[in-house]
Amino acid sequence: MADLDPTGATGAATDATSPPLRERVRAALQSRTALVVIILAVLALLWWSAVARDVSAERLLSLTVWGVMLGGVIALGAIGLTLVYGVLKFPNFSHGAMVTLGAYLAFAFMAVLPQGPALRPFSFGWEFLAALVLAMPLVGVVALGLDRVVYRRLRRQNASLVLFAMASLAMAFFLRSLIYLIWGPDFYFYYDARANPVLDLPLNIRVQADQLFIVVLAFAIVGLVHLLLTRTRMGKAMRATANNPDLAQIRGINTERVIAWTWIMGGALAAAGGVMYGLSSQLRPEMGFWLLLPMFAAVIMGGVGNPRGALVGALIIGVTQQVATAFLNPAYGPAVAFALMVLTLLVRPQGLFGARGG
Amino acid sequence: MPLLKVDGVTSGYGDMEVLRDVSLAVEAGEIVSIIGPNGAGKSTVMKVVFGQLRPWQGKVELDGRDISRLPPYEIVTLGMCYVPQVANIFTDLTVEENLELGAFALAGREVAERKARIYELFPRLKERARQEAGKMSGGERQMLAMGSALMLDPRLLLLDEPSAGLAPKMVDVIFERIIRVNQTGVAILMVEQNARESLKMAHRGYVMANGQNRVEGPGPALADDPDVARLYLGG
Repeated sequence: MADLDPTGATGAATDATSPPLRERVRAALQSRTALVVIILAVLALLWWSAVARDVSAERLLSLTVWGVMLGGVIALGAIGLTLVYGVLKFPNFSHGAMVTLGAYLAFAFMAVLPQGPALRPFSFGWEFLAALVLAMPLVGVVALGLDRVVYRRLRRQNASLVLFAMASLAMAFFLRSLIYLIWGPDFYFYYDARANPVLDLPLNIRVQADQLFIVVLAFAIVGLVHLLLTRTRMGKAMRATANNPDLAQIRGINTERVIAWTWIMGGALAAAGGVMYGLSSQLRPEMGFWLLLPMFAAVIMGGVGNPRGALVGALIIGVTQQVATAFLNPAYGPAVAFALMVLTLLVRPQGLFGARGG
Repeated sequence: MPLLKVDGVTSGYGDMEVLRDVSLAVEAGEIVSIIGPNGAGKSTVMKVVFGQLRPWQGKVELDGRDISRLPPYEIVTLGMCYVPQVANIFTDLTVEENLELGAFALAGREVAERKARIYELFPRLKERARQEAGKMSGGERQMLAMGSALMLDPRLLLLDEPSAGLAPKMVDVIFERIIRVNQTGVAILMVEQNARESLKMAHRGYVMANGQNRVEGPGPALADDPDVARLYLGG
């Protein structure tokens, strides 16, 4: 027990004859188990409230599956957000605008690509996939461009965290205005009035093929990111830079290059999230802005800087948001995410996967 | 020509001058020890040598090449590696990943062979290969930090307070390994608070005070020098 935590108070306490009860209770309340229990309790409460209001079991199950889909979309944004935070140590408020930009750029590509037939059972054709593949690196380059023009200068001046955060907020408004300017405030669909039939799945789950596609693609991309971070040189360099930037340089890592790849990756993932979100609902200039809060909630819940944590956090947030719509106006979705974020901050500020004492 | 030459360096943080006109040299294969009281600027010398801090005046040369404007990640490719005093391992990564990142500048093939050599020098690291580095003891961390820095097979190794915060038994182990590394031909420049011990093993030593180097001489002779002893060795 004592060798588990040589720095913290718990180790010192076990050496004493009897640890003060208050200390032990506090430590137990702040443990990972406590947070997991609280999150599960919130989920159970949501399901129970739904059942109490006569929401059918099939509908609840479908909502849960949709929640997993929304979680996948949130995860794509949240992983980029958490990577940027890990390496650059500031909350990037313009990440939501990257999501929107990705969705609209894919829309623009689809307008110029020749339209093919729908790839049944999905509602989209190959031009949608091509647009997705084109939009991802393009948003990555935009993210890199913003770094070169704005954030790199701030880095060279050793600017404070507040300046970085404010600059990213300014970039968020700038990008959003740009989108309004080019595409206007109207809603768009990737495919107007194209049939998107609900699949008949066991247990009466009502899900569209597109939604399954989103879930599978989101998880595939998250899996790829995991492989990239654990198996490749650049991935290891990213984790090293996030962990200790000064030491990374001493060990021969060009941290500016790592930062560049982090932006490209974060931007590309945000674009993928935006395109999926656009496919599952519609394109609006505010779409990314509304995802920003769930993304931050997922990042904080999972432990800031931890991609695996961001995925788990995103799934929890996604499911809670969707299940809550069984008895709440969907517009309150972000409020649910916000409540979970505040709960996490109160119980265990370092999140599910964060290091102790963080 | 010395392997490393620090030539009249003045530097500091912000407006605060920490080093004034510091000069020192390390020959190939030597152990050189810098001692001096707290705040003498010993660690700052290391930072200037390794490109973490720019000299305001003077320059740092490696093999006769001016490296004072190079970033750390380029300096490591020239055959000089550095173990800082604190935060010298990647705590979130495994022991093995730490070692592999030590050889980041190296292309694939040789990494496995170098890793095997480090495991031979520090068998404890092999036992802990898959463990998260942040969960190790102070002595093991120091071994890992040194091991990572040796992955590039440097000709010169910079050690900042390698014995700081270690149990006396572990200090002996670390010092013994430093000598072993040196016997393979690696020159060592170290800063130590454990002055007497580090001077005994050093070929040459420098005594620093108030940001300047004051005395220079063969290590054991400095350790026995009554003036040095009175001023800096506390007895």
